[in-house]
Amino acid sequence: MESRERGGWVGLTASVNYGIDADRVLAVDAPLQAVARRIDGRYAVDEFGGDPHLQDMVLPIALAGLRFEVEHGERIPRHGPALLVANRSFAVGSFEPAVLVAAVRRVARRRLRVFGVPELPIAGVWLHKLGSIGRRPHDVATLLRAGHLAVAPLAPTWVRSAPGDPPRGLLAATLGFPVVPLAVTPGGPLGTPFGTWRVAVGEMLAPPAGTRPGDQLAAAELAEQVRSAIRDLLEQTRAAS
Amino acid sequence: MKRVLVTGIDGHLGTRAAQLLEQRDDVEAIVGCDFMPPRRRLRRAIFKRIEPRDRDRLVTFVTEFAPTAVVHFGVYEPAARMGLHRAQVSTEACTVAALGAAARTGMLEHIVLRSGLEVYGRGRGTPLTPDEDAPLDPTSPYGMSLLEVETTAAGIARRHDVRVASLRFAPVSGSHAPSPLGRLLRLPLVPVPAFVDPPFQLLDTEDAARAAVEALVRGAHGPYNVVGPGAASPWQAVRLGGRVPLPVSGPGWLLARRLSEVAGAPIPPHTLALMRQGLTADGGHATSALGLGAMVPTQVVLDDLFEWATVTPIARAERRVA
Repeated sequence: MESRERGGWVGLTASVNYGIDADRVLAVDAPLQAVARRIDGRYAVDEFGGDPHLQDMVLPIALAGLRFEVEHGERIPRHGPALLVANRSFAVGSFEPAVLVAAVRRVARRRLRVFGVPELPIAGVWLHKLGSIGRRPHDVATLLRAGHLAVAPLAPTWVRSAPGDPPRGLLAATLGFPVVPLAVTPGGPLGTPFGTWRVAVGEMLAPPAGTRPGDQLAAAELAEQVRSAIRDLLEQTRAAS
Repeated sequence: MKRVLVTGIDGHLGTRAAQLLEQRDDVEAIVGCDFMPPRRRLRRAIFKRIEPRDRDRLVTFVTEFAPTAVVHFGVYEPAARMGLHRAQVSTEACTVAALGAAARTGMLEHIVLRSGLEVYGRGRGTPLTPDEDAPLDPTSPYGMSLLEVETTAAGIARRHDVRVASLRFAPVSGSHAPSPLGRLLRLPLVPVPAFVDPPFQLLDTEDAARAAVEALVRGAHGPYNVVGPGAASPWQAVRLGGRVPLPVSGPGWLLARRLSEVAGAPIPPHTLALMRQGLTADGGHATSALGLGAMVPTQVVLDDLFEWATVTPIARAERRVA
């Protein structure tokens, strides 16, 4: 079987979405209308298990208590694919994904898919509906080819693993797409959501032109660039506070 | 000029593909075979009624025609037009006999075969939306049958230097399409997973036939995921059709399958897996390589399925006195 080069943005193909965009946050239904829509089945479901209508119903309520400030939010792309990589502030990074989802919704009005969430029986399907993309780099590459936005931790997952390891496998699978480093500083002690979180967005990074997907050396170099960029952003944030 | 053999020509896909091929000037001759006659009118294609398991007759027929291209729709989905065992046996027999005989004539240049997303499987570690490079690890009998078809064709390709395009279709559904998933969703009370609601994709019959013809015309080689844009979920599909969802979990599926079969909608293992685990794939490569613009979205396929009338009244013929 001949190998095919991948990379580049295929673009979203036309699909029925009942006025709900799978990538951008547009107008939201009133509660009664939202319930009627669920009963009728007239809502969008995307190929990655995302349910944007459910996200619009649940996420504003679930994320209402989070307070955060975003620096250089204009660096988050308003359209097209990009991989955001964020640090984890503590051993159990349970709140970073929620803060980042809320921040991107507010600043860029886009839906953010979260890579690195553990695949749990039954709960996994519902987490996919709310924006999780699992832990397979291949799925993130497909998501980016479809023009979406995804965030990954500076670690294999958001829980358990030692923080600070760049996701080289993921970067290798998604070479060719822009990477945006994010530095997240927790609002409260020990990574708790109390207090105001700070999200600093770094300059977009990209491998050298002509890099092919799967190039492990290029992925390793890009991973080090990402780690350095996040480290610099964290130092700037600490110096400013 | 192409001499095209269409196996499984009786099916809705095979018949439609044959009709599209008949419109092409670069197709010199078209023949087809299946265990039943085609359900639509074919103008210049010649049909031969051959049971897929009748190897000798099939080999003789194919050898006499000596096709330069085979569009292999002799891949039978369990519970669509035949039961599980017969579908597996017929698929294997038709694949080995038809493709083998065609290759042996020495004239064969290209094979376009029907496969399915079931070939990827839905086990642990399977990508959520596999592309054509994803490993093949089928978890259902139909998926294993499809893998055998692809393997057989790949073997022929290596030995006889033939191009093979494996079209991995999403479940083909819609009005007039014999599909176990379609029958299930049209029941008044539809069993759905109680605690999960995974995504799945569908494919319109016309898009599937068009993909096969484009693959043949463009000389495509390799696997292609052919899927309808967008996705749906079991609960959503049931509500779109105005049906009542019946949540089922664990051993309840045994009873649900029995009752569904009695109601005329048997649930084969691959359809059960679709309902419980979903079935999606990355179709970007096929869309660009085969020029499949403006495909029918999954939810439009569902709308078409539910708008299909249960009973179609036949207009009374007017009798004229001579």
